[in-house]
Amino acid sequence: MKAPPVDYIRPRSLTEALDLLANAGAEGRVIAGGQSLLAMMNLRLASPGLLIDIARLPELLTAADHDDAVTLGACVTHAAIEDGRVADPSHGLMPRVAATLAYRAIRTRGTIGGSLALADPAAEWPAVLSALDAEVILYGSSGRRELKCTEFTTGIFQTKLAENEIIESARVPKLSAETRCGYVKLCRKSGEFANALAVVVADPRRGYWRVVCGAANGAPLVLANTSRLVAEAPRDPDALRGTIGSDLDHASDRHFDEFQRNLHTVAAVRAVQQVLV
Amino acid sequence: MTAIRVRINGGEVADDVPPRLSLADFLRERRNLTGTHLGCEHGVCGACTVLVDGEPARSCLTLAVACDERAVETIEGFAGDPVIAALRRTFHQRHALQCGYCTPAMLITARDLILRQRAGSEREIRDGLAGNICRCTGYTNIVTAIAEAANEIAKEAPNAQ
Amino acid sequence: MPNDQYGVGASLLRKEDDRHLHGRGQFVPDIKLPGTMDVAFVRSPHAHARIRSIAVAPELRGRVFTAPDLPRIKPIRITSHATGTKAPAWPPLATDKARYVGEAIAACIAPSRGEAEDLANAVAVDFEVLDAVVDAPRDMHGSRHLIHEQWGDNLYVERVVEGGDIEAAARAAEITVTRQFRMQRQSGAPLEGRAVLAYRDHRLDEVVVYASTQTPHTLRVALGEFLDIEARCIRVVAPDVGGGFGPKARLYPEEIILAALALQLDHPVRWVEDRGEHLLTAAHTRDHHYKVTAYADRQGRILGVDAEIVVDAGAYGLWPQGPYQEAAMAARNLPGPYTIANYRARHYTVATNKAPLGPYRGVGRPGACFAIERIVDEVARAVGRDPVEVRAENMVRSEEMPFTTVGGMRLDNGDYKESVRLCAELLDLPGIRARQQKGEPDGRLVGIGFAAFAEQTAHGAAEFVARGAAIIPGFESCTARILPDGSVVLMVGIQSHGQGLETTLSQIAAHELGIDPARISVRHGDTESTAFGFGTFASRSMVMSGGAVARASRMLRDKLCRIGAHLLQCDPAQVRCAEGAVLGPQGSVSIAEIALVAHLRMDGLPPGVDPLLDATATYEPAIGTGVFSYATHGAVVAVDPETGFIDLLDFAVAEDCGTMVNPMIVEGQIRGGVVQGIGTALYEEIPYDEAGQPLTGTLADYLVPGAAELPAIKIGHLHTPAAATEYGMKGMGEGGAVAPPAAIANAVRDALASIGAEVNETPITPRRVMAAIRKAREAAAQP
Repeated sequence: MKAPPVDYIRPRSLTEALDLLANAGAEGRVIAGGQSLLAMMNLRLASPGLLIDIARLPELLTAADHDDAVTLGACVTHAAIEDGRVADPSHGLMPRVAATLAYRAIRTRGTIGGSLALADPAAEWPAVLSALDAEVILYGSSGRRELKCTEFTTGIFQTKLAENEIIESARVPKLSAETRCGYVKLCRKSGEFANALAVVVADPRRGYWRVVCGAANGAPLVLANTSRLVAEAPRDPDALRGTIGSDLDHASDRHFDEFQRNLHTVAAVRAVQQVLV
Repeated sequence: MTAIRVRINGGEVADDVPPRLSLADFLRERRNLTGTHLGCEHGVCGACTVLVDGEPARSCLTLAVACDERAVETIEGFAGDPVIAALRRTFHQRHALQCGYCTPAMLITARDLILRQRAGSEREIRDGLAGNICRCTGYTNIVTAIAEAANEIAKEAPNAQ
Repeated sequence: MPNDQYGVGASLLRKEDDRHLHGRGQFVPDIKLPGTMDVAFVRSPHAHARIRSIAVAPELRGRVFTAPDLPRIKPIRITSHATGTKAPAWPPLATDKARYVGEAIAACIAPSRGEAEDLANAVAVDFEVLDAVVDAPRDMHGSRHLIHEQWGDNLYVERVVEGGDIEAAARAAEITVTRQFRMQRQSGAPLEGRAVLAYRDHRLDEVVVYASTQTPHTLRVALGEFLDIEARCIRVVAPDVGGGFGPKARLYPEEIILAALALQLDHPVRWVEDRGEHLLTAAHTRDHHYKVTAYADRQGRILGVDAEIVVDAGAYGLWPQGPYQEAAMAARNLPGPYTIANYRARHYTVATNKAPLGPYRGVGRPGACFAIERIVDEVARAVGRDPVEVRAENMVRSEEMPFTTVGGMRLDNGDYKESVRLCAELLDLPGIRARQQKGEPDGRLVGIGFAAFAEQTAHGAAEFVARGAAIIPGFESCTARILPDGSVVLMVGIQSHGQGLETTLSQIAAHELGIDPARISVRHGDTESTAFGFGTFASRSMVMSGGAVARASRMLRDKLCRIGAHLLQCDPAQVRCAEGAVLGPQGSVSIAEIALVAHLRMDGLPPGVDPLLDATATYEPAIGTGVFSYATHGAVVAVDPETGFIDLLDFAVAEDCGTMVNPMIVEGQIRGGVVQGIGTALYEEIPYDEAGQPLTGTLADYLVPGAAELPAIKIGHLHTPAAATEYGMKGMGEGGAVAPPAAIANAVRDALASIGAEVNETPITPRRVMAAIRKAREAAAQP
């Protein structure tokens, strides 16, 4: 199908973009890489009145390397992360993840901010950034605010992004050099959306362990008990499986059928195994 | 209608386009560059792949208006490009095309793999082609052709490694 | 250039490549005509509904067309000569009822496709929604919900194929194995969708229809019939076509509607379908249900097979042949290449509220192969023997051929057992068994599976008459013409959409005439410039069209020799065609010189020889029942028993298609077919819900295999030339797609043998694997 009629404007600054967004009301939509939004418009599943193109705003293309974190502008592309063209706080995890995201021609346009704002349940960045304890910095008519990624994504295509607010950047704490990471994406066809996604970060020096399941019928799921168990370097595979299963069962905001529950469990077990060795 | 200026295959083009017009339709319908093909318009099949500012992009998921002040290269370009020339030779010799519909995009994707040195093994090439569907060939000959072209290019410019 | 570099048997590089490598192919949407308006359709969102009214706002009149606005269109009617078949009339734009999601109700025109879609969204249709028929086995014998009310049930046709005495076989059996098999509905999904561009040519008094079709001449017949126009006033052109595979070998309502719009509006109109439309409304394929019982002795020798086959054929039959061939073909091919003496297959072709079913590479055979090859493996396991051995033992032996199977297939020649052996060798069967013994470090389970089949190709009139077909595609044609400068044009009735026929047909003419194929052009796909032919499908083109090219070329060759002998002043028996010339005992004269004489210097012609070098020939195969290529396919898989995910580690084909005109192109066809078969085996399906809504609509959920999921496809060849075709060729275009689902299912069965799990449904998804594993474990746990 062809996209429905729409207006388009490309502001020259972030402030101008926010003004346009505020004035456009419900009809206004920011567009960065457009890889998700244009696909939806081509299927006539979305028909905004005005596209506000933020893809080239210099404020959103930064990659700042601080002492303890890296701040990536919302319009940094997946390809830039894959290629290591921006600072990497994750000692290789983020480039490794980026390489599995869709296809190269999508990655050259799609952005990390776009992925976070859309909150597709099967997307990679919301799960990975939750595992990395990252924050989103939001910028709107009432100024800037920061939210943990784990709080920002609230459900399927649902976030705490307010009206007239955009994602300005993601701030990712730097992992220690000795950090071990696990990443498992289960899907049948290379590049398709995940059927199950598991991310494990084990950073003992910073006392930080986290296990997250993505493609999990809702916002990325932090497996709290499993995260604590990983810190103890568990040797008992049944205990690990059991704890994962219990964490999945306690996710009250969603339901898994038998196949899905098993798949997420296996993904999480294997991601944990990448970390324990 | 929105005024745009785009560099297409090295030549400056000025036009007025409806904002909803995709880059693919802009190229095909307004510039008569029909070598770029449409197979799905949701970014999966890859038949519409062109270069935008030197990087592969889905022209079906790119607005023409978003290409204002950008450079676009399509299969009709690449004059004198040694990688495309090598790929054309090996695709022909290895029977890496049948109906031809996926071929322009395959060549552009393959060229990108070779330039980014992601065509060093069969596994790497197959992974790099994940975003380009072919319904006719079964891919075996495409992979062989790309591997041969990559070897040729590597031999011709060993210092560029 | 010596003949063996470009004649029959040469892997000549393709002439088609140059334009495609430079993006200069010309597909229907690439053709630009001034004043063209784009078309989008209003399509039914309901599977089964009465249309109460269609509201078109006054300002849209002249841009939105419903059935009454195009009165010259007649409903599509299929004539079947088989008794007991039902054929519903199909109005191209729905009138009283919509019978599947996506059925076209109105055509909207606008300067661009996007604007035409905007118009379509502004048309309001009032529906009375009815219950949908979606379960073919359950709903075939009539229900409260009849799709075609005048029928009394939902059956297009039911038949039995039988031979021998199945009851006796059942009594004599020492082993009885019964299974149900299912091949889910899918799409042919060529990368280029359907497209039509139509306009009126006033100079020639024709309506010109460019269509992405495999069958231009028969499309012209259909347009003439359903628009009531003489064929001389219609031109159909299939330019470059981006894949066909069967779904583009049938008439579509959109083709009739576009031609009607062109006639009525007198400006060009264009319809380019999008992927969603294709998945929704282009011919659906496969969708078979099987219940099969095999009776065998203790060695695994199969005494008889009893089967019930149900094909879900959708809401209408596709012209010209209707839906009748699919189930019948499955029933006749189910006995495979085996000497099974006792057989009964009851088959049912059912109408449901889904898009119409059409042919797709292999047609009824992939389903039949899936069923019989799985059952052969289960018989082997029931008697505790290796499926590879049991398969080979049940096969027809070369010395028994020609052999007519109990399904009625007259297998002409070949060494089927040898194909099994060769395939096992290509995959290193002993090596795989050793690997299985050792086990995988990551816990995955490796398995190997095989499947064999015979592919009926280039069948002629007798076969189609036996099927009760409406039209009989029993011949092909060629006009071969040498132009005044000695260059050659072959005008053929088939249509090349990836098979390289521009190259291979040149090879045949080059072989006969001794002319470099670079001096030969092939014109195909255009009713204006070619004699009548049926098109490209049913693995027929090389045998049929190649045969016609050979005959026409020989006619030219004979005339060249007569003229050449005259110019050389010798006897015609003393000359021959080679190296671009007629060679005599002393001296030669070039084809160019002879062509000059035949056109511009007729004073040089021998007495009794007319000017021109023009020959038209048809070809029919000597054996109407077809020539059979055959193969054994083998797959090696690794199954993850914890997730159900399957990796295809290796795939091999050991095949025999007789003489190969161009081995490079033959291998390309095999590999392409195999990967489509792998798609059927592991990825592709269009599930429907109870309301008749299809649940896949994009390539994000309709998964098509990509390079990353696949191994390199290995091929080994046997060579048993056909007895009665030109050069001993056999058709082979579809075979690659026939056996992969069976081979892969058998490999999965082998991988999971320790668990005892079977997956008897395609695609073999992780969910189905895990369900099979659970079922097997529960069965094993019972006392």
